[in-house]
Amino acid sequence: MVRTALVGAGVLLVILSFGTVALAQSDCSKIVPASPWGPNDQTGATNRVTAAVTKAAAAEIQTGKVITMSYPLVDGVPLFGSRFTKTILTATSLAPGASFGENELTYMEDTWLSQSHVGTHLDGMGHIGRKDCYYNQTPMGKFINQNNMTKLGLEHLKSFATRGVLIDAVKVFQAAGKLKSNAACKKPCLDKGTVITGADLQAGLRMYNVTLREGDIVIIHTGWGDLFEQFPAQNATYNSGAPGIGKDAANWLVSQKVVAVGMDTWVVEVIPGENPKEAFIVHNILLTDNGIHIIENVRTDLMAAEAASTKRATFFFNMTVPKAVGLTGNFVAIDGIQ
Amino acid sequence: MKLPTPAFPRERRRRGVRGLLPILLVAVAVTVVAAGLASAQRRWVVAFANLTEEPGATLEGTGFTGPEVRESFALAARSYPIDLVFYDNHRDDARAVANAEAAIARRVDLYVQYHRGAAANATVAQKLKAAGVPVLTINEPVPGVPLYALDNAGAGRMAGEALAQFASRTWSGQPTVAVVIGRVSAAAERVPERVGGVTEALRRRLPAARLTTLDTQGNPAQVASLLGAFLAANPSRKVLIAATDDTTALACKAAVEAAGRARDAAIVGQGVDRTIHGGINDRKEIDPTNRNSIVIGSVAFYLDRLGYEVLPLALRMLRGEPVPARTLTPHKLITAANVFIEYPPYDMN
Repeated sequence: MVRTALVGAGVLLVILSFGTVALAQSDCSKIVPASPWGPNDQTGATNRVTAAVTKAAAAEIQTGKVITMSYPLVDGVPLFGSRFTKTILTATSLAPGASFGENELTYMEDTWLSQSHVGTHLDGMGHIGRKDCYYNQTPMGKFINQNNMTKLGLEHLKSFATRGVLIDAVKVFQAAGKLKSNAACKKPCLDKGTVITGADLQAGLRMYNVTLREGDIVIIHTGWGDLFEQFPAQNATYNSGAPGIGKDAANWLVSQKVVAVGMDTWVVEVIPGENPKEAFIVHNILLTDNGIHIIENVRTDLMAAEAASTKRATFFFNMTVPKAVGLTGNFVAIDGIQ
Repeated sequence: MKLPTPAFPRERRRRGVRGLLPILLVAVAVTVVAAGLASAQRRWVVAFANLTEEPGATLEGTGFTGPEVRESFALAARSYPIDLVFYDNHRDDARAVANAEAAIARRVDLYVQYHRGAAANATVAQKLKAAGVPVLTINEPVPGVPLYALDNAGAGRMAGEALAQFASRTWSGQPTVAVVIGRVSAAAERVPERVGGVTEALRRRLPAARLTTLDTQGNPAQVASLLGAFLAANPSRKVLIAATDDTTALACKAAVEAAGRARDAAIVGQGVDRTIHGGINDRKEIDPTNRNSIVIGSVAFYLDRLGYEVLPLALRMLRGEPVPARTLTPHKLITAANVFIEYPPYDMN
């Protein structure tokens, strides 16, 4: 009896000590800030897209011209690391006698085997963390199963129906006489490693006389996407680095209370980063700490050209994100409507 | 006798001075603030004269190249109010002096000299001093000039400590020998200092381990025969291997495996260049998913980050702040446990 009690106490002690360790490891309150939308918030910056914000954004539709802002998703486009995207035609009714009914209905279906962060895609709240702590102090280790996350999935996001604002960084750098293009770009582009600062962003806004509003989505044109368009020929160059925003610009965008930041690069932030010992730090600033989405591989050249010709860099941002339960991100299609 | 009446009575003069005082103070304050703003906004032109830009030529007995060093300056400068002007010293004294003259003519604000040659370096320093251009030197001491340098002996000690610690933890009580292998006699690149550091640490931590030095003379192809013979001569001993660079460390691993002695060996390299650590896709020997490698680590020399270390010193000099006469590289042992912290993988390739 005594022995059983001792063994039981020992087991309890072991469980408690492991529990204590686990609790210490999952206390994210000192690692990631709390959401301004409360302890249960899993939505992040799309909380800013209110009915009033969407209504105001609708005023941007003046000519009805739709400009595509996403790249085709197809074999051969540049992909990060070991990511892949593959389609397989899995059902057809071509065989004799396989059509249905007197109307001889035929059909096609396919299976899409793909990772979610491919092509033009959105980074969700659960994509990037710090020491396993994600947006709104979420200890993600407690919220995953074999298939997906059980917190911070895309199903919690609200609408992205808001105003888009294009900032033409190529023009900014040209005007400042500091554009260093890359020889592989067919059109002017910022070279990899070029840091876009908060001052650069503000200069870009002044070019089109735009002031950011809470709830805007900021899209930055660097010209680097020209290399994406040349796939697969320039994939290695495209993947080798990128121009992008640095910490200063990221913090300034946070202060502007935007919903998302997109760019025609695979990473939005500058690569190589400003500090070689920091990894994708702008992702931490925007996503982990502030719930601001990142949209990568945005096709920006068409909207940049449109803005240059119409002298208007604002548009209605039309993007739908599937309610993919537990996903960290997904490929998206974006239209900018002026 | 009547004393001459002052033009202004004393009291009135005092009042006049008192009246001027606030104006003077404001003027001084405005000047100070303006100077501060000008200093804060000022951009400096810094010249960096690289040891060599020859493609493929490695530096300091490591796997790093001149273009990697130059790139580190270009990347580091992004965070500072510094515009860089690059020169290539071509490992040539006359070129080094000519570069300094060109920089003086260009009126650069500071000169970073990376050249091997005491006489040329002294001439360069003298010319720049005469022109009022401050100088900072890399890896070669020049009298009166702040030095940034690798700590070869310290790096060697770090490698020796790592090997000794591994042996104590893993092979305690078993007969163990040690070998230092690589360009051990390359004095110009101070590799002997590295060897000395390894030796010192091993003798202190493992006094019973016999230490042998094998000179590949910079040819990694020599590793197989030299180390193969050494392994054959020590069939029943554990073997600690300190390689003087990463290429040699990898060649040692191949030689140990070829001899069927992987269970008896531990290797530490020097440098941490891209031959030994990789990224997301180009997995290399030191990698978080390869924790049981017999290459237990390599001591980082950070020549690919030299600019990040040197430019802050340059900026302090330009701002008139004191800098140490000698600043040493903060070498660190890089293993599978910390490689992605120290070298976060960021490229997609």
